[in-house]
Amino acid sequence: MVLPDDVFIVSYPKSGNTWTRFLIGNLIHPQSPVDFSNINLIIPDPEGLSKRQLARMPRPRYIKSHQYFDPRYPKIIYVVRDPRDVALSQYHFHRKRKLLQDGASVEQFVSRFVAGKTSPYASWGENVASWMATRSDRPGFLLLRYEDMVVNTTRELAEVAHFLGIQASKERLAQAVARSSAHEMRKLEEKQALLWSSTKETRQDVPFVRAAKPGGWKTELPEISVREIEGAWAGLMKSLGYQLCFDEEHARARYEESDAKLGRVLR
Amino acid sequence: MIYGSKRIFRYLLGTDIAGRSLAVYQDDTFIVSYPRSGNTWTRFLVANLLHPEEPTSFANIERLVPDSEAQSSRYLRRIPRPRVIKSHQYFDPRYKRVIYVVRDPRDVALSYYDFERKYRHIDDAYPLQNYASDFVSGRLSSADWGTWGENVGSWVSTRRGQKDFLLLRYEDMLENTMLEVAKIAAFFGMEATAERVRGAVERSSVQRMRGLEKLQGKDWVSTKNKRPDIPFVRTAASGHWISKLPKNSIAEIESAWGPLMAALGYELVTTQPGCGEPLQMLSSSVRSTLSRERI
Repeated sequence: MVLPDDVFIVSYPKSGNTWTRFLIGNLIHPQSPVDFSNINLIIPDPEGLSKRQLARMPRPRYIKSHQYFDPRYPKIIYVVRDPRDVALSQYHFHRKRKLLQDGASVEQFVSRFVAGKTSPYASWGENVASWMATRSDRPGFLLLRYEDMVVNTTRELAEVAHFLGIQASKERLAQAVARSSAHEMRKLEEKQALLWSSTKETRQDVPFVRAAKPGGWKTELPEISVREIEGAWAGLMKSLGYQLCFDEEHARARYEESDAKLGRVLR
Repeated sequence: MIYGSKRIFRYLLGTDIAGRSLAVYQDDTFIVSYPRSGNTWTRFLVANLLHPEEPTSFANIERLVPDSEAQSSRYLRRIPRPRVIKSHQYFDPRYKRVIYVVRDPRDVALSYYDFERKYRHIDDAYPLQNYASDFVSGRLSSADWGTWGENVGSWVSTRRGQKDFLLLRYEDMLENTMLEVAKIAAFFGMEATAERVRGAVERSSVQRMRGLEKLQGKDWVSTKNKRPDIPFVRTAASGHWISKLPKNSIAEIESAWGPLMAALGYELVTTQPGCGEPLQMLSSSVRSTLSRERI
């Protein structure tokens, strides 16, 4: 049941959703720091709470989601991240969840990632495009890029506060940012990983809070996988400001071919 | 609570309307569109193409190309595979093979207005201009399917150009039905002769469909108990919005979905198309992100 004043924090998995939840949780509750034991009550995943618990949440409710476009969501903060980093992060998360063994082929994983077979939330491109095409530039939709959040966290959180109609002083913003830093979150994960539903039954030697920085794919992702991701989503990536390494015939041809096909159908 | 237990009971019996909870098979083909965009006509064309031995009518269409929004889960489970299923859903990643029919939203609004009166959701005195505003903002009984722009945008942005996605414009289907049906045949991997395509087109003509509606409209799931004085098979034409839709409503629709309309080849009359390329539209919100002043 979606209520008209609900706020959804939406992203594809492994795109900075938990960090965003911490930032927003700490912004709206400056009196009590967010940690892994209370985050699911402050900004719950609706799949992890009972209907009764959801109905009893104070309003406006802040709700986490990885869903592709859902017309019922009235207010959305959508976090997008470079799919090359998302793929890498998801690879490690699947190791943590014992869905992949150490040393499993990254190339094979990325092929399944591109096909949308590694997540129940459609492919990265489908998830992002479904929201962008329907809601971008409309009231009630705020787009955040994970990379911008890393570079200037306070600035992006101020944008969030403005979007939510929260009057936040510089001190309050700075406090929320500090309480949600990778350093703080790592410390909390060390203490609470066994309490939190998303980490308790996973490998404890692989961290949930990982690199917390962009561009890891440049050294860790094989070239063939980078090519595959860029080939699949060249246009969408470029429109989001993600520079391509292999923006040559291969990627362009695929993109233009699909455009030409659309053009033929349309004209 | 009673409503809840009724729903659970229906679910257990399989008599719930399938809708978004439809169990999807890999070999299903979906005929998807926003409502009032030529979906029923497309269903007739497809059914007549695939089943030349059995002329399609409102009496057998629910068996040949069943409606996932009108039939129960159990009913749909019993349809022989590979199934061809009608749907109005916005993007659903489980749908692997999709024929998406799009129609000029200015004509859709006009058609939907008549349809909503037929369904007694609004009465005849309700002004068209008010209805057009409802249509744009999604204040409709069909809100579950998103607005026109959301429904179309969600599919076109995710699947365009892929081999299992066939995008058809209702207007092209009107102008050159044979050609568009030939595309459908190719999509189904059929070696269809001109005779077979022509036969399907003739058996799906607006005259024949109007005749069938007169005979069978009182029994068909989508028209049963609805106002019989407003036809379901309407003008079967394009461009009536030019004379019938109030100027304000045209402007409202174009300002809501201008870039998407332009990308689909629907010429705008109140605003300049600006950027016709869909990806340009996708990026405008990013541009505002990128230009945010840094502290």
